[in-house]
Amino acid sequence: MKESSITRRKVVDMAVRFLSAAGSGLGLFILLWILYEVMIRGLGAINLAFFTELPTPPGMGGGGLANAIVGTLLITMLATVLGVPIGILSGIFLSEFGQHSRFAEGVRFTANILMGTPSIIIGVFIYTVLVLSVGHFSGYAGAVALAIIMLPVVARTTEDMLQLVPNAIRESALALGAPRWRMTLSIVFRSAKTGLITGVLLAIARVSGETAPLLFTTLNSPFWPTSMANVMPNLTVTIFNYAMSPYADWQKAAWGASFLITIAVLIINIFSRIVFKEKVK
Amino acid sequence: MDLKLESINHALQVMQNPETVTDMNQVNNVKILVRNLNFYYGAHQALFQNDLSIAANKVTAIIGPSGCGKSTHIRVYNRIYELYREQKANGEVILDGVNILSPQQDLIELRRKVGMIFQKPTPFPMSVFDNVAYGLRLHFKLNKNEITSKVEASLKQAALWDEVKDKLHHPGMALSGGQQQRLCIARAIAVEPEILLMDEPTSAIDPIATSKIEDLMELLKKQYTIVIVTHNMQQAARISDFTAFFYEGKIIEFGTTKQIFTNPVQKQTENYITGRFG
Repeated sequence: MKESSITRRKVVDMAVRFLSAAGSGLGLFILLWILYEVMIRGLGAINLAFFTELPTPPGMGGGGLANAIVGTLLITMLATVLGVPIGILSGIFLSEFGQHSRFAEGVRFTANILMGTPSIIIGVFIYTVLVLSVGHFSGYAGAVALAIIMLPVVARTTEDMLQLVPNAIRESALALGAPRWRMTLSIVFRSAKTGLITGVLLAIARVSGETAPLLFTTLNSPFWPTSMANVMPNLTVTIFNYAMSPYADWQKAAWGASFLITIAVLIINIFSRIVFKEKVK
Repeated sequence: MDLKLESINHALQVMQNPETVTDMNQVNNVKILVRNLNFYYGAHQALFQNDLSIAANKVTAIIGPSGCGKSTHIRVYNRIYELYREQKANGEVILDGVNILSPQQDLIELRRKVGMIFQKPTPFPMSVFDNVAYGLRLHFKLNKNEITSKVEASLKQAALWDEVKDKLHHPGMALSGGQQQRLCIARAIAVEPEILLMDEPTSAIDPIATSKIEDLMELLKKQYTIVIVTHNMQQAARISDFTAFFYEGKIIEFGTTKQIFTNPVQKQTENYITGRFG
């Protein structure tokens, strides 16, 4: 038997190492570049007025995006209130009750498809269902669209996190005479608590940068939000509008808003990592 | 070839002398009577026509090589196997005159009466106190003082009180393995069951903790009927009054522990307890 070449093995090893390192390096470089651009251009737009004042017409200078910040917070909050409970309940069903039944497999498949559905499609869908039917754009419609985007993410992470809880602990609770729902809520849930919080935080981070679904549902407004039943100001559509405009001060404000969202998502991500680490400790 | 013949001979012997297989007469005060119990994991049959009598206020040990159905057998007594939809049992398990396998049997009532200790300690993700109080709160309407005193009594009964009385509000997970297992025992006896099922309760903990738990069983059997599955034959010999030997899903021999360990009737039993296989 002819021995295989050691040199060749080492060369191939080096090549694979180099290519994988280069690949991740490139990804990291682009990410840092984006962060750098957003920070350099966005920081200049951030000042107290940015958080407290209404937008001004182009060329006037000053003003802020306080209304859009409030609007985005309201829409995201309502989306969370709508999407998280339904998502968590579906996750409980998949993990604890449906398991491998045909219905559960169907739900799981649908959730996977929904997770991969481009958000603009969800925007158009809500546009036909909740905007055309009522005759006007609204904060509610936007929140529902975002909630639909959150739904599969929360459901699948909930299922995965509950699946990490060992069956031995389920059996112990049942063996003590706990009904199944109580075992799920008081024992399994508690064991998976940090994982569930992480899942919810990541779902919020996921939708807080969505633009397309809001463009079709909530639109935007230069005024303070008065009612969720009307068009509402929000950061992402504002970025879209301002960045496309020819006015330098609006473009600057768009960078500021981008910076704000990026930082918020970053903070949510870091926070969810901290929460998850607590558990490991 | 010879081996095969030998096992066929044993099978014939078993069929010809059924009274040596399960000698019901030795058990006077029957708490659980198992008749013709079969068990299936999906299409795979794991227990074959098990007949067994569990004596009240005695320790019955179930021994046998890995995969012979020991744990499967006792997991029928509280119907915990029903957590998994592909697992099915048929036959009769008569507890105090009632067949608990009947669909009318209320599972929560059954599990209050039949407590279970598992191989690995499974403290719930809450404090030592709340672990013990969990079952109490499930089954009884008690005020705060009653719960506190019952928790204390249960921990004392489980010989754990002195070690945890200053850390009742620490997480149960923070205790050592042996302490966690006694916490699980305290949690199980707090709801005042009549039967304690123990599925290899000491296989995951060290020898000193094991001897503590064995001493505890000696005390507990005055009050409870105990069924213990164990891989450790010395343990079976030390603590049990009756022993059943399982092999490939069948009960090969049942009798007083003394008889099984000193004068087994079946060749397979003898081979197993003398360490020739298993």
